Amino acid sequence: MPTIRAASASLRLRSLDARYGLLGALLIAPTVLVFCTVIVYPLVSAIYLGLFSIYTPTMEGEWVGLDNYRRLLASGEFWRSLANNLIWTAGTLTLQIVFGILVALMLHRNLVFRALARSLVLFPYFLSTVVAVLVWRWLFNDLYGVLNHLLLWAGIVDLPVDWLGSMPNAMISLIFVGAWKYFPFVVIAVLARLQAIPDELYEAASIDGAGAWARFTDVTLPQLRDVLIVVVLLRTIWDFKEFDLIYLLTGGGPIIGTQTLPLMVYKEAFALNQMGGASATAVLMMLIMLLFMSLYLSRARD
Amino acid sequence: MSGYSSKGGITRRAALRGALALCAGAAGLKSLPARANTTIRWWSTQSSPEQLAAYRFQIAAFEAQHPDVRVLFEQTSDEGYPAQLAAAFAGGNVPNLVTHLPSFAVADYWQAGLLAPFDPVIESVGSDRFFAGTNRVYEIEPGVHAAAGIGNTAANMLWLRTDLMQQAGIESAPETWDELRAACRQMQGRGIYGAQLPYARNSATSLVIVCFIHGAGGQILSPDLDVAIDSDEAVDALEFYRSMRELCPPGATGYSWGETLGAFVSGATATGLYAGRVLVNVNTRNPRLAEHVTCVPFPTVSAGVPPWTFNDYPSVFIPADAPDLEMTRRFAAWLYEGEGYIRQLHATPGHILPVLQTAAEDERYLDHELVRRYRDEIALMSTSAAAGHNLGWESPEHRINVKAGALVNSGILAEMVQRVVLNEEQPRTVLADTARRIETIMNA
Amino acid sequence: MSTPARIARRFLFNVLAWAVVLVIAFPLLWMLLTSVKPSSELFVIPPRLLPGEITFEHYRRLLTETPFLTYLRNSAWLAAGTTLVVISIATLGAHSLVRFSYPGRERLARLVLFTYLLPSVVLIIPLYLLMAGLGLANTLTSLIIAYTTFALPYALWLLRSFMKAIPDDLESAALVDGANRMQAFVDVILPQALPGIISTAMFTAILAWNEYFYALVLVNNDAARPLTTGVINMLVTSFNIEWSLLMAASVMMSLPLIVVFAFLQRYLTRGFSAGAIKG
Repeated sequence: MPTIRAASASLRLRSLDARYGLLGALLIAPTVLVFCTVIVYPLVSAIYLGLFSIYTPTMEGEWVGLDNYRRLLASGEFWRSLANNLIWTAGTLTLQIVFGILVALMLHRNLVFRALARSLVLFPYFLSTVVAVLVWRWLFNDLYGVLNHLLLWAGIVDLPVDWLGSMPNAMISLIFVGAWKYFPFVVIAVLARLQAIPDELYEAASIDGAGAWARFTDVTLPQLRDVLIVVVLLRTIWDFKEFDLIYLLTGGGPIIGTQTLPLMVYKEAFALNQMGGASATAVLMMLIMLLFMSLYLSRARD
Repeated sequence: MSGYSSKGGITRRAALRGALALCAGAAGLKSLPARANTTIRWWSTQSSPEQLAAYRFQIAAFEAQHPDVRVLFEQTSDEGYPAQLAAAFAGGNVPNLVTHLPSFAVADYWQAGLLAPFDPVIESVGSDRFFAGTNRVYEIEPGVHAAAGIGNTAANMLWLRTDLMQQAGIESAPETWDELRAACRQMQGRGIYGAQLPYARNSATSLVIVCFIHGAGGQILSPDLDVAIDSDEAVDALEFYRSMRELCPPGATGYSWGETLGAFVSGATATGLYAGRVLVNVNTRNPRLAEHVTCVPFPTVSAGVPPWTFNDYPSVFIPADAPDLEMTRRFAAWLYEGEGYIRQLHATPGHILPVLQTAAEDERYLDHELVRRYRDEIALMSTSAAAGHNLGWESPEHRINVKAGALVNSGILAEMVQRVVLNEEQPRTVLADTARRIETIMNA
Repeated sequence: MSTPARIARRFLFNVLAWAVVLVIAFPLLWMLLTSVKPSSELFVIPPRLLPGEITFEHYRRLLTETPFLTYLRNSAWLAAGTTLVVISIATLGAHSLVRFSYPGRERLARLVLFTYLLPSVVLIIPLYLLMAGLGLANTLTSLIIAYTTFALPYALWLLRSFMKAIPDDLESAALVDGANRMQAFVDVILPQALPGIISTAMFTAILAWNEYFYALVLVNNDAARPLTTGVINMLVTSFNIEWSLLMAASVMMSLPLIVVFAFLQRYLTRGFSAGAIKG
């Protein structure tokens, strides 16, 4: 009986689609409006500015056509920054997802003082990036940092480790701090989804004789799929665009060892005062992400 | 079932009410700014608590004289000002007055036509009250000043710990690089490092290598602003910089000015390269060292090369689009007046050195505990800074380099140091490469 | 499974889990401890974990001698304002994207995400010009608008995924019972989506609370400066880092969020089960 009712309802729903299309458009209208004013305008101006040679403080300059792009693609710095960007994004994202899922599963189970544990785990995400970076720089400090002290005390190293000033330490530290800062986002999203998985599914799986691992792969993961697709997408974009954390932690150094594209954009725009080059870099960066996004979304749909 | 749903409803309502209360609270807390006829916005990169107190004193006195004027002090920072000012200039929403930016930043803005001529202020302060030649660096076009100095800074003094020197049996302050290296080596040990030079990719490192190249008798650009960095002197400078690495703490690869200052003041290093702020910081934060610090001009490669002092020429300028130009100029001149200016100097004795001869000789300036106690050091810094230069003006023969700000901010010079010191690349190859990159910026 | 073995396993799990939690939270602990240490204990070698003497001097100085409370108020206003704007727009938008069909719907969803790809560093100057043109430069409102640029796509996509998880049948049933689509949205979809909305609101609030770069460039005025740039500007200068005050400030910046979350996470679970049963 209920199935028939639902089926007839969804039939009716489809027939009403046309009439409701207008309402749907109305509901999305504020979003579109906001996008047009605060995003599309700056976006179009970025594409436009990329064709000029522009002095940032005056925002005046001359038309150079595609010269900015030619210069960029021929420069080693652009490719190096892109490589850094990919290493950073892949490294930190992998850690975030793996830790995020593991910790979410852990916090979903019955743990003493679970609410406190959850708050503590999510804390890095609440912490302002600025503060997180300063705390880590304090922990990493060569003279007064507790990390070096622990390693010296345990006899693992003889001299304090230079965590942020040499390669590959700087990139590893960066990826690690990034993972620490952002994995709670994955935890929150996964936890919310875990709570929505009906217990019956697990009960059914148990009755079928599934062990803990089989329950995870057969029930949990498929249920998490939709959330994870979005989480990976958002986090990839977010990490790829990350500026605050890298700028404040290493500033792109040593040399350009940890300089990612957003830092390069910043340098062009404000240190060299070349808004044209900066915009061109940003447009290229956007195209790269667009490529990734299209590939990702078409794969995710399958 | 109904029990559950009503429970859900209550919490939902509670949450909603909470959210509303939060918004309402936040809205209510937003206070309205007091209205005044004229508001003068003053930006500065220098705002330690002591300096802020001095500024407040000056502002209060000025507002008392001009009841319809309100001065709004807004902090900016050495890292933040390029972006903040760029946005302000581009948006036409500029502050009235900006102080303490280095002279080469001023040159950059001036050549883009963003600044108002500063001569009226210099005249109303009295151009004869300034030390001779102090404002030369701002005379980018002959006869017009883009800004004026608000102070001088001798950025690369060599700070020494006399107690450690005594313990190590070092009798006189080092004057050459070899002597400095030897002294640092002798004092290093027991948890104390010999030196605290910055090796990071930042402006501190860029400025230090500029000092070293001049300390080797070289230059970055010729007087006609042709690239001249690819020289034997620059090789010497880079090799010296590299040889000091083992005498600095491991984290020096991340040091900027703050860390270098902190390392010396906390007693972690035996020597230090820094400006006069060491004095106030040692006295307030680590008084047990107060008796044991002194400074000398930073050594050079040999006795034949005279010391070269980096003065970043902390400036005052007025953006061309600033509203209320007349009142702004009056306030800018006010910053140099009487007790207010002296309070500014006293906030960081020896760091911001007087540009006004009248202030330097003023009884009230000299009558300060630190100025008295470190009379010799402050006198030395004053003469060094007065004869000082920077990347925007490398010697009296040099033309003003309006690209110096871009050079420092691009990080090219710091990268050069890092490539030689961290990557152990050949100085020659790195210099040739750096010369090309500087060329690109100079021609941009 | 025998009971002692089960207890042992539970015990082991708890120990292990809490060890992980504590490692993650170690910087918080370090922050807390540093904030109550006298300044003189900061620069000792080797560093000590526990303070030799406990002082609340840094908190007192922060609250009485600095504009910390102004910044705190600005941040609260910013977080609340941004969240309210973003969530109202995004909830409607996500509902439209999930439950209605009209031409170009998928493309629109992609476009929203696409606009989100542009790095903030490049958006900032055009945005600043826009704000200056609107006479909003140096105000909290300008920051709320700026934050919308990155928070809205984020919120929209998160909400869309939450709303997709709500079965179609629920709305259909309500429609059969005679509700119109807006009523169905308010009575059926909203309660179902509430946990998702709350967590999305939380993310938005956190983003707004912690943002640094826009605040750095768009606002340079103590009256509108939020905590992130305010605290840094005040305590970290090129000549000194006030570690003690900084750690005290960090603790006070994080506390409101931890408290809010402690309240909301209980709500999340309860809200969800209630919604599920109601359906």
